[in-house]
Amino acid sequence: MKIAVKIGRALGGGAPFATVVCLVMYAVYAARAPSALSIFGITNVLNDAVVLAIGSAGLTLVILAGEFDLSGVGVIAIANVLVATTSGASGFGALGSLALVLAIGLLVGTVNGVLVAFFQLQSLAATIGTMIACEGVALLILPAPGGEVSDKIATGLTGDLAGVIPVALLILGGFAAAWFVFKRTSLGVAIYATGADAQAARLSGIDLRRTRLAAFMLAGLCYAFAGYMLSAETGTGDPRVSSALLLFMYAAVAIGGTSLSGGKGGVFGSLVGAGILTVLQKMLFALGVAEFYTNIFNGIVMIFALLFGNIVSSLAGPLRRQVAK
Amino acid sequence: MRASEPALEVRAVGKRYGATVALEDVSFTLRAGEVCGLLGENGAGKSTLVKVLSGVVVPDSGEMWIGGTAYRPRNITDARTHGVATAFQELSLVPTLSVAVNLSLPHPAGSRFGLVRLRRLEEEAARILHTYGVADVHPGALVGELSLGVRQRIEIVRAMMRAPRVLLLDEPTSALSDREWLFALISRALDGGTSVLYISHKLDEIRRICHRCVVLRNGRKVLDSAVAVLSDAEIFSSMAGRSLVEAFPVASSTVQPGPPALSVKNLSAEGIADVDFTLARGEILGVAGLEGQGQSSLFRALAGLLPLRDGSIEVAGRRQIFRSPRAARRAGVVLVPEDRKEEGIFKDLTALANISLPIIGECHRLRFINRRAERARVEEVIPIVELAERYLPQNIEALSGGNQQKAVLARALIAGARCLLLFDPTRGVDVGAKQSIYRLIRRFAEEGGAVLFYSTELDELVHLCDRCLVIYRNRIAGELSRAALSQERILAIASGHSLPQSAQPEPFAENSVTAR
Amino acid sequence: MSAISLRQRLPEGLGIPLIVFASTAFLVAVIKLISPGSVLAQQIEAILVTAIFLVIASFGQGLAILLGGIDLSIGVVMGLAGMMISGLTNGADAALGWAVPATLASCAAIGVFNGLGIALAGIPPFIMTLASGSIFFGVGLGFTAGAAQRPVAPALQKLMSGHFFGLPLPVLLLAAFALAAMAFQNGSVEGRRLYAIGSNAKAARIVGLPIYPLTVAVYGISGLCAGIAGVLLAGYASAATLDMGDPFLMPTIAAVVIGGARVTGGRGLYLGTFAGALFLSVLETIITVLSLSQGLRDIIEGAIIVIALLLQTAPAKKRY
Repeated sequence: MKIAVKIGRALGGGAPFATVVCLVMYAVYAARAPSALSIFGITNVLNDAVVLAIGSAGLTLVILAGEFDLSGVGVIAIANVLVATTSGASGFGALGSLALVLAIGLLVGTVNGVLVAFFQLQSLAATIGTMIACEGVALLILPAPGGEVSDKIATGLTGDLAGVIPVALLILGGFAAAWFVFKRTSLGVAIYATGADAQAARLSGIDLRRTRLAAFMLAGLCYAFAGYMLSAETGTGDPRVSSALLLFMYAAVAIGGTSLSGGKGGVFGSLVGAGILTVLQKMLFALGVAEFYTNIFNGIVMIFALLFGNIVSSLAGPLRRQVAK
Repeated sequence: MRASEPALEVRAVGKRYGATVALEDVSFTLRAGEVCGLLGENGAGKSTLVKVLSGVVVPDSGEMWIGGTAYRPRNITDARTHGVATAFQELSLVPTLSVAVNLSLPHPAGSRFGLVRLRRLEEEAARILHTYGVADVHPGALVGELSLGVRQRIEIVRAMMRAPRVLLLDEPTSALSDREWLFALISRALDGGTSVLYISHKLDEIRRICHRCVVLRNGRKVLDSAVAVLSDAEIFSSMAGRSLVEAFPVASSTVQPGPPALSVKNLSAEGIADVDFTLARGEILGVAGLEGQGQSSLFRALAGLLPLRDGSIEVAGRRQIFRSPRAARRAGVVLVPEDRKEEGIFKDLTALANISLPIIGECHRLRFINRRAERARVEEVIPIVELAERYLPQNIEALSGGNQQKAVLARALIAGARCLLLFDPTRGVDVGAKQSIYRLIRRFAEEGGAVLFYSTELDELVHLCDRCLVIYRNRIAGELSRAALSQERILAIASGHSLPQSAQPEPFAENSVTAR
Repeated sequence: MSAISLRQRLPEGLGIPLIVFASTAFLVAVIKLISPGSVLAQQIEAILVTAIFLVIASFGQGLAILLGGIDLSIGVVMGLAGMMISGLTNGADAALGWAVPATLASCAAIGVFNGLGIALAGIPPFIMTLASGSIFFGVGLGFTAGAAQRPVAPALQKLMSGHFFGLPLPVLLLAAFALAAMAFQNGSVEGRRLYAIGSNAKAARIVGLPIYPLTVAVYGISGLCAGIAGVLLAGYASAATLDMGDPFLMPTIAAVVIGGARVTGGRGLYLGTFAGALFLSVLETIITVLSLSQGLRDIIEGAIIVIALLLQTAPAKKRY
């Protein structure tokens, strides 16, 4: 019992349940499309999931710190068009464009962080502003879909190693591992503390401004990397990243058991949440559900993820208080 | 007492928030190796002073010195490096983190790679907790799962474990059941060279451990003297700015309580259990209790903010179930909430709009506000609370705390209250406004209204109430009639010593007069 | 009328709308400068006609923000309204009589759905409205997928291009709407209650204000306004597409923020939002006149939101 609680806590709240849901849906999908169990099929699903997973991982950091961030889609758009225009032979190459993209992500994250932490703007409104501006920048760089992503990126990041391990799995595994390390750093603890009870965190000596700034900066890096992965997957640039991705990112975070009011949850849950959403799409497609229904499903899943979270916490609330006595 | 150079010196410190003066020209000295008490009523500026000293709030003026060097803390950690540590009244522990992690904040000690090693933190925490005599708490437990009393102990331990030069204890016994534990720790800290500023309401504690005391009133220092030479009455009157008796309107014994206005049977809700009482028309029923004993839950349950688990509420003989404050208001039960800023005022509205909200639906032409009618309705009630008419068009945020509270009370009256639930209505209110509020309470009762009145200032309860319920550990632990009402008795019951049914004054081991 | 009651009648915070109006006038002067050939009166008329969509849609956004929420479904609802009105009338004026109420009722219903999710289920407004936007976009896609484009009823097109006593009908509509909206937000009982709820929801609960019904009503009104804007847009453009409302969503937020409303609720006048909407429409015209790219347009809009927020918080911080 105690061990189970500890594992649950380590994984971050609702993650175990979400993992089970994800596996069940994958089974349904696999029953309809047997190729899903091949290494190719798995790689395919992981490639679809990885952009959302990394983007929502970044978002999770901001939400854990008790703030919102809508700029993710904007950064992803910039990253995508930058990779499409600079990764070729005449540009900076694969690594050069990665560095460039990460620098941009860090810059946008810093702007967000400064606006929220130092100028005390409401994060939702401020990041709406930066989101629109970022989309504008993406349009300036590449006014219409096009460009080309270097083969190194497009095939290198979407394939598999020696036909056994999908690269996307390595990246996701790397993110999960990095998260478990990050959670144990002073900054990780400070982010949780800030989101849970900013006043108490401040009185405990935590620098709220620096913590919030760091959360936004790290999130910016994640979005940029998500944009890089998106480019690898699509092989082309498109300044208009679907705004559905924004909804998905929040849905992934909520499904993964992270409280939207901050301080509870974790990146691991969001990775699983992204998996659920991706597999859900695949499953619906395999079941022959028309495309426009997926929009409806996405919205409903989002609402249910939050309802479920609310119900769980309202059930857990009294229980916790009982313990407190 | 060792006479040596001061540990902390405060010179002419001032701080204002908008129109409110929180601290004005406060100077005092904390000598090395002494315990100095800091007293004052709610809103006198004690908390602001603590925040200034611990680096949370930057003062507008004045200077501070520690051990002969200038002290200008920019934040908590800065204060710590100067050797100042604070145990806050509002508790600065993060509820979702474990005790061990909380003790290690803001920079959890790490291994070489800067990683937090939980096991090592927990071992260390266990050692610390053991040293400070809190061995029964598991260092891995989440703070949010611990009782308030245990949390307060951990808060105190966290301030003490750094062996600070100056230790600030802000109301450290508000949730403690075992004060001796704290007193032992304080004397140990003194031996270790720490000087302590002890902020409290409780006179007996001040007498017990403090050498000197400083009293604040309305943000100014009004008394600074050795404790031994002061009488209780002197301390009281300097805190309240009046002598004990003259401040209260003469108790009117002429009005006999009428038929029951509010009767509560077997009421249980989250944080409160098995409450029975009857409040008659024309009666002022006091509620007393130390911090966090369930009084807040009681008031919220009566106002429809907290669902009942059990029991019943009858208003004027009719059984009622309040699912919302709206329903309570319809029955004439109106709450004046505890936290004026968070739950009382609408900071973006004028005082007039704040007062007229409950009846704004009655002042309209085709759903458009009839401002003349609105104003007329408001002008009916503001004389009762003694709020000057010129404040009405002003934004309520620009008003002083006292006038804000008068507006909140006017709103309760305009809502048609027949039973007022007043939760600490004089908190953070100046002396003049207090008098107005006392008169309002009396007058409301004399005109047939019923008042349930909780206050943290025991002398208010003693002088205003016809009866007083005392709450301890989420239950009513005792009831005192007007004749038996005294601060000593309230305090005895409130701290868990039950009086015999005859309500005879009980001799106490220690002097338990409090200034709360 | 005595001085006191006059001051009481004038809502607080008139300064920001006036500044925005002045900036708008300045921008109009800029238009005259950069395209000297144009006739100013015509330009202004054209701007006002195109401003009507934003002016109407941002009223709903403003109410949602007044409550401390936000409505991100406005773009989708506008598109849906346009599709519905063209689909239902199919070019026949006779059908307008029932098609318009049916369309607007559906849009209001979407808003009510938002409001219920926010008030009863406690879902954060931006997520609830984002999600319902996705849901109803899917519904719209489902209904129209494969169906041919249908023409908009001519009467609606005439409404958007007609004149009355020399003034374009849309401009008269705009003026009437703005007056009604101002009267509602700053003169009605419900408006006052909305300010109170947005200012302090906890206190509003203790006072016993009908928080849930008003929240639902606000999002319902927001849906309704988006619907009206969508119907008019369909008439103006003589055609409708499902995504035609998308470019209006962010400007509704920008208009409200520029107008001085506090994004956490409780403060802001419709006059400000109105001024903000006009300002953005003039800016849009300038961008068109200068033939700036869409990218630059977005950057300017984003920057304006952030700058407006910064200007708002600067004086607030000084006070403490």
